[in-house]
Amino acid sequence: MKHVLLAGAAALALTAGSVRAEQLTVFGPWLGPDQENVEKVLAAFAAETGHDVRYVGSDSFEQQIVVDAEAGSAPNIAVFPQPGLAADMAKRGFLTPLAEGTAEWIRDNYAAGQSWVDLGTYEGPDGQPHLYGFFYKVDVKSLVWYVPENFEDAGYEIPQTMEELKALTEQIVADGGTPWCIGLGSGGATGWPATDWVEDLMLRTQPPEVYDAWVKNEIPFTDERVIAAIDEFGWFLRDEFVAGGRKAVASTDFRDSPKGLFTSPPQCYMHRQASFIPAFFPEGTVVGEDADFFYFPAYEGKDLGKPVLGAGTLWAITNENQAAHDLIKWLQKPEAHEIWMGLKGFLTPHKGVDPSKFSDPTLRKMNDILLAATTFRFDGSDLMPGAIGAGAFWTGMVDYAGGKPAAEVAAEIQAAWDAIK
Amino acid sequence: MDNIAGTRSALGWAVNLSVLALVLLWLFPTVGLFVSSFRTADQIATTGWWKALVPAEQNLTLRTAPPETQREENGRYVIAGNLFLEDGREPAEISAWGISSRAIDAYRPGETAELRRGGTITVEANGDYRMESAEPFTGSRGQRVFVTAEIPPEFTLENYDKVLGKGVVKRLAVYALAALIFAFAVRWSLRDREGWLVAALPTVAGLALLVALSLVFGLSEGEAEGAQTTDNMSRAFFSTLTVVIPATVIPITIAAFAAYALAWMEFPGRALLIAAVVGLLVVPLQLALIPLLKLHLAIGIGKGYLGVWLAHTGFGLPLAIYLLRNYMVGLPRDIIECAKVDGATDFQIFARIVLPLSFPALASFAIFQFLWTWNDLLVAKVFLIDATGETTVMTNAIVELLGTRGGNWEILATAAFVSMAVPLVVFFAMQKYLVRGLLAGSVK
Repeated sequence: MKHVLLAGAAALALTAGSVRAEQLTVFGPWLGPDQENVEKVLAAFAAETGHDVRYVGSDSFEQQIVVDAEAGSAPNIAVFPQPGLAADMAKRGFLTPLAEGTAEWIRDNYAAGQSWVDLGTYEGPDGQPHLYGFFYKVDVKSLVWYVPENFEDAGYEIPQTMEELKALTEQIVADGGTPWCIGLGSGGATGWPATDWVEDLMLRTQPPEVYDAWVKNEIPFTDERVIAAIDEFGWFLRDEFVAGGRKAVASTDFRDSPKGLFTSPPQCYMHRQASFIPAFFPEGTVVGEDADFFYFPAYEGKDLGKPVLGAGTLWAITNENQAAHDLIKWLQKPEAHEIWMGLKGFLTPHKGVDPSKFSDPTLRKMNDILLAATTFRFDGSDLMPGAIGAGAFWTGMVDYAGGKPAAEVAAEIQAAWDAIK
Repeated sequence: MDNIAGTRSALGWAVNLSVLALVLLWLFPTVGLFVSSFRTADQIATTGWWKALVPAEQNLTLRTAPPETQREENGRYVIAGNLFLEDGREPAEISAWGISSRAIDAYRPGETAELRRGGTITVEANGDYRMESAEPFTGSRGQRVFVTAEIPPEFTLENYDKVLGKGVVKRLAVYALAALIFAFAVRWSLRDREGWLVAALPTVAGLALLVALSLVFGLSEGEAEGAQTTDNMSRAFFSTLTVVIPATVIPITIAAFAAYALAWMEFPGRALLIAAVVGLLVVPLQLALIPLLKLHLAIGIGKGYLGVWLAHTGFGLPLAIYLLRNYMVGLPRDIIECAKVDGATDFQIFARIVLPLSFPALASFAIFQFLWTWNDLLVAKVFLIDATGETTVMTNAIVELLGTRGGNWEILATAAFVSMAVPLVVFFAMQKYLVRGLLAGSVK
């Protein structure tokens, strides 16, 4: 009934020659602080265009969007944290290609535009590649968070190389502390923080070409270079290096994990996590004073430059209407980016935005890390097919944290990948 | 001859022990959750709920006032104040303190420590501190001070205020008390009368007063701290009621008719039909989620209350029919045959004889269905919650809380208890039927 009314009102508005207002539903993975932020952005869109915009978040987004799409009750716009899942859905015909000209716009206005176009372009049900996804909100993942005052108390320096980071880790243990807080729990997505670790270490132990081949499965998971990267992560997982011991890693929620930095006495000194994590710091924590971050360093001895791992959310149309196209068009305006820049945890590749709009200087510092990168690679698990990147890889890493050998875990993930080929 | 009624089984103690074990198994986490819901985040982080009544030693990180508040006294720069008040806490007794995260209990109260950046700090047992330096203090923040203090046990309604709205629990308790007194007064004034209506009147009057008070004086004292959370929770609460009540009534109504037919009406294929119902008991509902949702969308029901009622009805019916049919089959044949001889139709037998006699079985199934539709998340997610976000249920609201406040145990415990409150009331109000009904169909 509502639809009929809305359609009637829309038809009336159309004949009157004004903008027609529609209901637009947006479904995404953000809850809590991020949900409030995205709602502010969407409210600005609603105010400007008159559309009735609704946002719903879920922490089992990956599962729910598939159920909704299969049953035919999909929202108008879905915000995918993972291009891999979006590619699956595009192939099955659940996504609508974006309007003509969007690809050109991205190429011209995003830093490294072509790579963002490539990341959003998938094969449709007709076998032809189309641009399905628009990137909005980017995260830098290669960050290590710490409490500067705790480092001062203990007299630790910020490590510039991976060798120094490992030495610092051992130093902290020798001083009777615990260096790392690592938590993999995340509801239906439990395990993903570990995939970031492995990808970051992959970029630090192998050239980017090997990383690309691994993500496309041209070299299998069982390759010794991949297993070596997993074991490299295992080095950090030693009982004495992690708060609560290795057993606690899989059962600790990634949102709770950074809180160990702020306890008295500190449960840990360092936490490797993406740029969005301050949203989960204890209330009142000021980034830059109470907590800060440094670049997750590269090996000095390997000469692989300064690789940076990143990710982003991809907005795709799952249920076409004019309002959905309007939103994608609106997200291309600098103002759409500047609203969230003024809030928390937002980075953007948009070249036209005013950097002074960032809410705090630390976000600019993150952008500097992004710019200083000699290699930028997108989160590999997000590029892998959904069944791997949002499935076998996650559960495999949970098993690995639980004590299973890397070779066995890799063989299982590879078997899952072979099964979907 | 052990099992003759009236003699005690030799294994009686084993039964008693296992009942005790089950009761403890349920009580232990529930009481813990209940106690935790009245504690503050700090207390939960430092001690278990079983220590809620004794003072706990806590390690706190407090900060002095920032350097901009310093004064000059006799050529020295001074910052003074109370650590606890600075942090907005109740004053407590400090047993040890420190200024480095490596040695948080390096000093006793009254001792003086050298600051790394020059100057000294003295902290007294009550939290008073005094920082002195010949040079002005610099920086934008106060000095961190780690204190170990005995924090007295503290219980708070703040968590409930956060989840439900400010003052809701307090007001609800007052209204409920008033309603209870009123109900007793009504019962007392009607003590000489008899009849079904008179017996129900006190309860109805009490409930009516409760609703009237809530409507007239309101439940909340105004804007709560977590306005969004509060809003979500109360909306989810009523949304859940909208799902649960029809989802309990509809299957019982259908199942009662079906059970009578399967128990007492002769028609070909009856045994096969019963076998089919029993067979359906083992079909997992997950199997039907997507096909059923597709059907709902195809016939225009879409996602919404109607869809979720139908889904719960469908998933609940096999057990309902099975339970009620087995109970009804056990009713004495003589009564029903007498009624038939007297010329009663099947509907009259059903409505006048079988239905009143089956009350315990109906009540016990009602409790079952109520409890699992109340606690359901999966069916609601698939059939109810759509992309507009207009409908939600309590379980989903709690999952969202978990997503955003994964570490805030005090909020989670409170939310869990709020969602448990209604099933608990239903259970305790109707538990005598549950026990009777549990035996339905099993003993003749």
